Amino acid sequence: MSQNIKVIPRHGSSFKDKLYLPAIYDGVKVTFKHLFKNLNDSNAVDTLEYPEEQPTDITSRYRGLHRLTHRPDASIACVACFMCATACPADCIFIEATARKDGHDEKMPKTFFIDTLECVFCGYCVEACPCDAIRMDTGIFSLTGNNREDFVLGKEQLLANKGAFGEEICSARN
Amino acid sequence: MSTSAIVIAIISFALGALLALLTIPVLVWLERRVAGLVQDRLGPNRTNIGGFRLGGVVQSFADVVKLLLKEEYYPSHIKSGKWLFMLAPIITFAAALLAFMAIPFADSMIIDGESLRISALPIDFGVFWYMAISAIGVLGVIFGGWLSHNKYSLLGAARASSMVVSYELPLGLSILAFIITYDTVDFNAMVAWQSGTFFGFLPSWGILVQPLAAIILIVSLFAETNRNPFTVAEGESEIVAGFMTEYTAMKFAMYFMGEYVAMNTASAVIITMIFGGYQIPWVSTEMLLENFSTFAVSLMVVVPIIVTILIRWMRKNNTVRPTVSTDGGRDFETKVLTIVMIGMTLLVEAILIYLAFLTDSALANNIAITLFQIVVFVVKLMMFNIFFILIRWTVPRFRYDQVQKLGWYYLLPLALLNIFITAIVVVGVNL
Repeated sequence: MSQNIKVIPRHGSSFKDKLYLPAIYDGVKVTFKHLFKNLNDSNAVDTLEYPEEQPTDITSRYRGLHRLTHRPDASIACVACFMCATACPADCIFIEATARKDGHDEKMPKTFFIDTLECVFCGYCVEACPCDAIRMDTGIFSLTGNNREDFVLGKEQLLANKGAFGEEICSARN
Repeated sequence: MSTSAIVIAIISFALGALLALLTIPVLVWLERRVAGLVQDRLGPNRTNIGGFRLGGVVQSFADVVKLLLKEEYYPSHIKSGKWLFMLAPIITFAAALLAFMAIPFADSMIIDGESLRISALPIDFGVFWYMAISAIGVLGVIFGGWLSHNKYSLLGAARASSMVVSYELPLGLSILAFIITYDTVDFNAMVAWQSGTFFGFLPSWGILVQPLAAIILIVSLFAETNRNPFTVAEGESEIVAGFMTEYTAMKFAMYFMGEYVAMNTASAVIITMIFGGYQIPWVSTEMLLENFSTFAVSLMVVVPIIVTILIRWMRKNNTVRPTVSTDGGRDFETKVLTIVMIGMTLLVEAILIYLAFLTDSALANNIAITLFQIVVFVVKLMMFNIFFILIRWTVPRFRYDQVQKLGWYYLLPLALLNIFITAIVVVGVNL
């Protein structure tokens, strides 16, 4: 054990350190170098000119805005099992179930609301879903609206959101 | 008083007020831009009026409008001393502003044998004025912190008063060393002393003649302006905002602007005392007046070079990357500013040609040199302000007992030693 101990020398006791001015000089040298370099070519500064420039580094695992997926015949994949609403730590999913008449299952959501102002984008709803019916792969990272009601997304809006990474159809029970 | 004296006095006063007040938005912008560039980001560059963003300066004016329109919130727990609570930021602001007024922006103009000072206050005891007025500024900080009836504010005020006892003595003693060296308490005479040379080739600037006192002066002035590394009274990471915690809207803005005016004043004092003031090195006003045509011709060469560099820099940097869809009017702005700059250069060239070859009116030459010195002063002032800002984004903050230790154990003995040496040398030279 004793061989693994690395003794770090304590700085600050030499005359040069106590003068403090050489250290300030070194520091100013660094900051001035950055200032001069960036002043000389401000377009080389690695910042995003948002919103004219959009981010290009959003991966397929990025948790963006939610969407509800479709089955191959374009009907809704959700069976209103309430698992997402139960898993949701922010209590922002509100589902009302109704009987399903299109021959797939017994239940489907009559209304499906996500309050994105409450949502913490944790992705637990996606993890909880047994039918791959809710996903967060739209790649949408900014949602805007003029009032609070605009941020409560209904079933139609969620179904209209497209997946950004090529997986359009729900992958469960095809 | 003659008419010319009155005109010069009014112009100097307006110039002093403008230099002190108009630099506030510029300094706020400069602080944010320099901070951004130092930290590899851009800083405010979006706000514009009709596509003109001037590098983002417009942001500061938007900020002023915001602060003016904010609710004038008054903390209800403050029962006693309301008027002093309101007065405190004004004291800080006014002290910094008044201290600036003694600074000369150019050498005294001699018109009809009458020597006219180009400073807002035509006084010949500027150093005393500066020391007396600027020391009041901290009273505003202490009053504000005390009357906020808030623990953090009180701590900030206590720290501010501990700072005063640490830096005031070294500051005074280092200025004393300069007074002994220059043998005057007049800022203008100090600059005149520094116009000469030293050992034959060095400009006799205070920083070369009195390096130790110069360092003590700079350090003490950093402490006096409450700038980093001496922001102990604000201490935003420890005591919220220190003495400013209970202040909002324009009351806060007064403290905020006061800080920048104080920084500007400190820069002006530093360049006047130790960096040759409005003079360019090696050249005194008499030399400029005697060799006016040489001066005009060299200026005619230098000005287009500087403007060319500026235009090239602007054309390179007032753009966006090709990946960005729109440039937000930057291209148009660059074109207009290029035309304006070329036009102004041509105007300056025409005036210089007229002055150098077509007329030999001493008054016109005098005015031209005064304007040139004002420009030199402003350029130096801005350079030192950038140095202030650069230091802020370089150095971490001192603990306030460390400031006291620095002041009492290091700066004060060094300043005293320096005075002894200075006195011995000055007496020895004058024997």
